[in-house]
Amino acid sequence: MNMNDIFKELFNPIRAEEELKNQTLAFLAERTQRYTRSTAKSHKYPRYAAACICLLFMLFGGHWLYFTPTAQISIDINPSIEISINRFEQVISVNDFNEDGRELADALDIKYKNYTDAVEQILNNDRIEALLTNNEVITITVIGPDRQQSAKILSGVQACAAKQRNTYCLFASSEEVAEAHKMGLSCGKYKAFLELHLLYPNITPEMVQEMTMREIRDLIDSLSTDRDSNSSSYENRGNGHHGHGGGYRYRWRNGRTEQ
Amino acid sequence: MRSEQETIRAMERYSDTVMRLCMVHLKNDADTEDIFQTVFLKYVLSSVSFENDEHEKAWFIRVTINACKDLLKNFFRSHTVSLDDVIEQPTDLPPDYRDVWEAVFSLPQKYRDVVYLHYFEDYTAPQISRILGKNVNTIYTLLTRSKQMLKEKLGGAYEYE
Repeated sequence: MNMNDIFKELFNPIRAEEELKNQTLAFLAERTQRYTRSTAKSHKYPRYAAACICLLFMLFGGHWLYFTPTAQISIDINPSIEISINRFEQVISVNDFNEDGRELADALDIKYKNYTDAVEQILNNDRIEALLTNNEVITITVIGPDRQQSAKILSGVQACAAKQRNTYCLFASSEEVAEAHKMGLSCGKYKAFLELHLLYPNITPEMVQEMTMREIRDLIDSLSTDRDSNSSSYENRGNGHHGHGGGYRYRWRNGRTEQ
Repeated sequence: MRSEQETIRAMERYSDTVMRLCMVHLKNDADTEDIFQTVFLKYVLSSVSFENDEHEKAWFIRVTINACKDLLKNFFRSHTVSLDDVIEQPTDLPPDYRDVWEAVFSLPQKYRDVVYLHYFEDYTAPQISRILGKNVNTIYTLLTRSKQMLKEKLGGAYEYE
């Protein structure tokens, strides 16, 4: 007997029943919405699209969360630099406001580090230490719209600065920062400039930009002392008259104030 | 996507082939029904354009065998035994035919495909190799071994070539 013939005899009677064919046709009509929609694709692509959108949201959301500054710390001694802090209290950018500041910023490795580590690294920088030993004054200003975070950062900064002499830590508003940046000053220097401007209206932001904080503070102290001792005559002179170079002990030479 | 008319035409032509291949691989009606529906759903959703009827038939054979293998590979299935895990023989078979049926279904899975395609569908080894996507020498080897195994079980009373 030939095996081909036997196989034909064995398998020929095996046939798909009409009931199974009809069930399958009904199943196909249902799955393809009467042969109008590819079910496999219609289910697959929206799922991929949703997954991609979620991934994009996570990426951009994460980027936004991490790289949006929520506070700034302005450090002024001349050099002047400002560091931006995110909500996770990490340093996300370092901005300089003059040549000295640029040199200091280049020498630091504080990006993506905690702000306390950053402030400590700045205060322990050889150049800053040398300036502080030389009786210079450093002002650290914390700026931020979130009062709670700013207060926390300010206390952290104060703890870092506690070991150093001639260090002043203060808080400033975002409006003051905007005004300071408009004048090309860091926030700490801007606050000192405002203080000095009250005593010496002829002072300009450009002049302050090149002064050290010690020079500014000394000038403020000196002018305050002068004003206290000559308060009656000072008040009578009016704004337009005081502040001319010859009237004070300071004169400008090569962008520096000298005593 | 293919139309309802195309699907009905394909079902008239290839439903029996799909059914027989399911029988070669699977052992119960529920699995056969699943594979039957899966194969025709793939056909409806497929965008393959067939050169001729032979090409279309070869597509059905390959898709059915792959669907059966996927089902058998399923972890749950491979670790459980179905209650109706029995090969049903066609009724009223003469004793010789019954022996052949039992001998064929006692062959390991990989031999059953080639034996069915060779003896029932009359495909040659090169044709089977193209349909299954296997090396032609592998098919020759599988055919030779399956013939030997059938000979051992059934004796020399049959023509195997």
